[in-house]
Amino acid sequence: MTNLSPADLAGYLRQLGEGALITLELFLTSFALAFTLGVAIGVATLSRNRIIRAAWRVYASIFMGVPSLLVIFLIFYGGSAMLGAVLGEFGSRIDISPFGAGVAALGIVYAAYIAELVRGAIENLPRGQFEGARALAIPPLIMWGRVILPQVMRLALPGLVNVWSFMLKETPLVSLAGLQDLVAAAKIAAGATKEPFVFFIATALVFIAFSAASLWVANRLEARLDRGQRRAPRSPSRAEA
Amino acid sequence: MSALPIDVALAWESLPALFAGLRVTVFLTVLPLMIGLMLAFPICFARMSPRRVLSLPAEIFVVFFRGAPLLILLYLVYYGLGQIEALREGPFWVLFGSPFGCAIVALSLNHAAYMVEVLRGSLLAVPHGLVEASEALGITRRNIFLWVRMPLALRYGLKAYQNEVVSFVKGTAIVSVVTITDLMAVANAIFEQTYDPFTPILCAATFYWAFVNVLRIGFQFWGRWLNRHSAEDAVAAPAGRTVTP
Amino acid sequence: MSPRTLPADLAAVPAIHLAGVVKRYGTHRALAGVDLDVRRGERVVICGPSGSGKSTLIRCINALERHDGGRIVVNGVELTGDEGTVQDIRQEVGMVFQHFNLFPHLTALENCMLAPRLNRGLSKAQAVKLAMAHLERVHLADQARKYPARLSGGQQQRVAIARALCMEPRILLFDEPTSALDPEMVKEVLGVMEELAASGVTMVCVTHEMGFARRVADRCVFMDRGEIVEEGDAARFFEAPESERLRHFLAQILR
Ligand SMILES: Nc1ncnc2c1ncn2[C@@H]1O[C@H](COP(=O)(O)OP(=O)(O)O)[C@@H](O)[C@H]1O
Ligand SMILES: [Mg+2]
Repeated sequence: MTNLSPADLAGYLRQLGEGALITLELFLTSFALAFTLGVAIGVATLSRNRIIRAAWRVYASIFMGVPSLLVIFLIFYGGSAMLGAVLGEFGSRIDISPFGAGVAALGIVYAAYIAELVRGAIENLPRGQFEGARALAIPPLIMWGRVILPQVMRLALPGLVNVWSFMLKETPLVSLAGLQDLVAAAKIAAGATKEPFVFFIATALVFIAFSAASLWVANRLEARLDRGQRRAPRSPSRAEA
Repeated sequence: MSALPIDVALAWESLPALFAGLRVTVFLTVLPLMIGLMLAFPICFARMSPRRVLSLPAEIFVVFFRGAPLLILLYLVYYGLGQIEALREGPFWVLFGSPFGCAIVALSLNHAAYMVEVLRGSLLAVPHGLVEASEALGITRRNIFLWVRMPLALRYGLKAYQNEVVSFVKGTAIVSVVTITDLMAVANAIFEQTYDPFTPILCAATFYWAFVNVLRIGFQFWGRWLNRHSAEDAVAAPAGRTVTP
Repeated sequence: MSPRTLPADLAAVPAIHLAGVVKRYGTHRALAGVDLDVRRGERVVICGPSGSGKSTLIRCINALERHDGGRIVVNGVELTGDEGTVQDIRQEVGMVFQHFNLFPHLTALENCMLAPRLNRGLSKAQAVKLAMAHLERVHLADQARKYPARLSGGQQQRVAIARALCMEPRILLFDEPTSALDPEMVKEVLGVMEELAASGVTMVCVTHEMGFARRVADRCVFMDRGEIVEEGDAARFFEAPESERLRHFLAQILR
């Protein structure tokens, strides 16, 4: 039934492979950006400053309330102009690539979700953690880096896994801004070979497999972190504060 | 440093087109939400069945239609099923004969798969003791489902349902790839005519934001009404759910 | 609906007849051959250490657990795997749980109305009348419109009793109805149960409230490791226990 020559097939497979690498690169870069931004924003917006808190609420509401695709387009079309506004003449000459637009958009959007998770986790930490660290006169940077954030990450892990797999499923959106990723390659191959089922289902399965694999890793990680937790039982509540 | 260049005149001129796009977006939200929910119930029952012949296909359905990116599902239905002559000419032409049909099929299947998990989680959250109490009263299984399990599951699952609906609305923004002129497509078209990168997209963003927040507020009222019996704000759901995009 | 399968002469048959009832969880035998007859109108108290199979026993009587061996006959109808029989028997047998299990989304009144409306097709007005009558019986008519979350534990348990009564069962099963309650609420629930006992309904009650047992029980049954070890009328049961196991148990709970 298939009239694909082995040579053609090899060609499409190579394109798909390259596309998959780009998708992976896009995804990991975006997640890294979202994670860094998200943790920074999450910590910063715990401040009592009303302006910071209001800014956080506006930011979260906007980026949780509009489609990621729209943010991708906004940055892709309008990114140069925005850079121009900020950096002057020099900025407006920077061309925004689909990849850059995708990373920036997904990073900014998902930073909001990660910040929310981090805020929730910090609020659920026993208050004694802060006071203990302060009583021992541990410098703030070390307190956050070595004491607070590791525990926050453990609490936020299930949510982070959620964001991880959801964000993965949104990476193909960047192909609509012209990125030659896995889905774009699959679309080309499907069109050229008239075999849409083969290519699209295979692509879907790649996403599903990657998602399943990372979920498996996350579960192992969670189990290990919990084991560490059980050896040193946590104080029952934050009532001690 | 100049402010973002928003062209008020262009925005005003674009309003009718944007509203038309919003109408399409709302339509492509409401219909698949209903179809997906209706599909989710039988699939959820199959998924929860102790019989493997029922639960395994349901599980595969969920894994596939939940795990595959929506864009691929849309391509799969539009370029795959939509191009099969027999399907387009046959009795299913309503579904596969038009971009709208294809988009509704893809969106509905995706939503159904998510809702199977939402439903299952909510039903499992209903304390077993309440089901036993109903059984002990001689209430039939069907009535227990209708009057005890489902009303409580709705309360436990409302937050998850809200998250899914909101992320679903945002997900519909891709339908322009199959030539549907929804809100996103209208904004893109205006951009292509005017090369104004901000005005149309920011206007569309405002519309999406408003739509999403109307839904959020609706859910909030619904939740408050459902939980009027509770001493606290919400029925304490046994498993705390985290935010979902 | 319910009396369909009941024998005509109810007075002649025991309310509950258990013969050699066995219940297994995996290899563990939660019930290792239990024989027990409960006459119509009789009030039986079951006690025994935790894990001895008391809950399992009374949950088998209304088929919340399915027994693996022996016979269970309720009101002359043998409990088999048949769904219809199970439904019929459950209409005749009310149950009150340790943790109340009230429907949190329904008011006290609606909790009581649900089963009569669904099972007997009563109109709303009829169901309200019935439910109010039984809430009156447990002295909670004034709380009828409240949701369970706004009631105290003792009030919740009394609503649960009223809810069971609304199906007008001939047999009432209680599984440690007061052991989840604060001490000051135990009395109000036991008081209601004593009034019920006086009304002539058949009662099987798992409880460690020895005062209640002495005042109300026609017969006390002691279970241990899935068996009935000893039974007898309340006075003899407490004053002159025969088996070493019961003596040991009584010494522990009365300490
Ligand atoms: N659903 C179950 N699965 C496995 N074992 C059970 C289950 N229910 C009860 N058991 C076991 O059966 C025994 C009797 O339990 P139960 O009837 O609840 O005792 P009691 O009510 O006297 O405390 C216990 O050993 C308990 O662990
Ligand atoms: Mg028990």
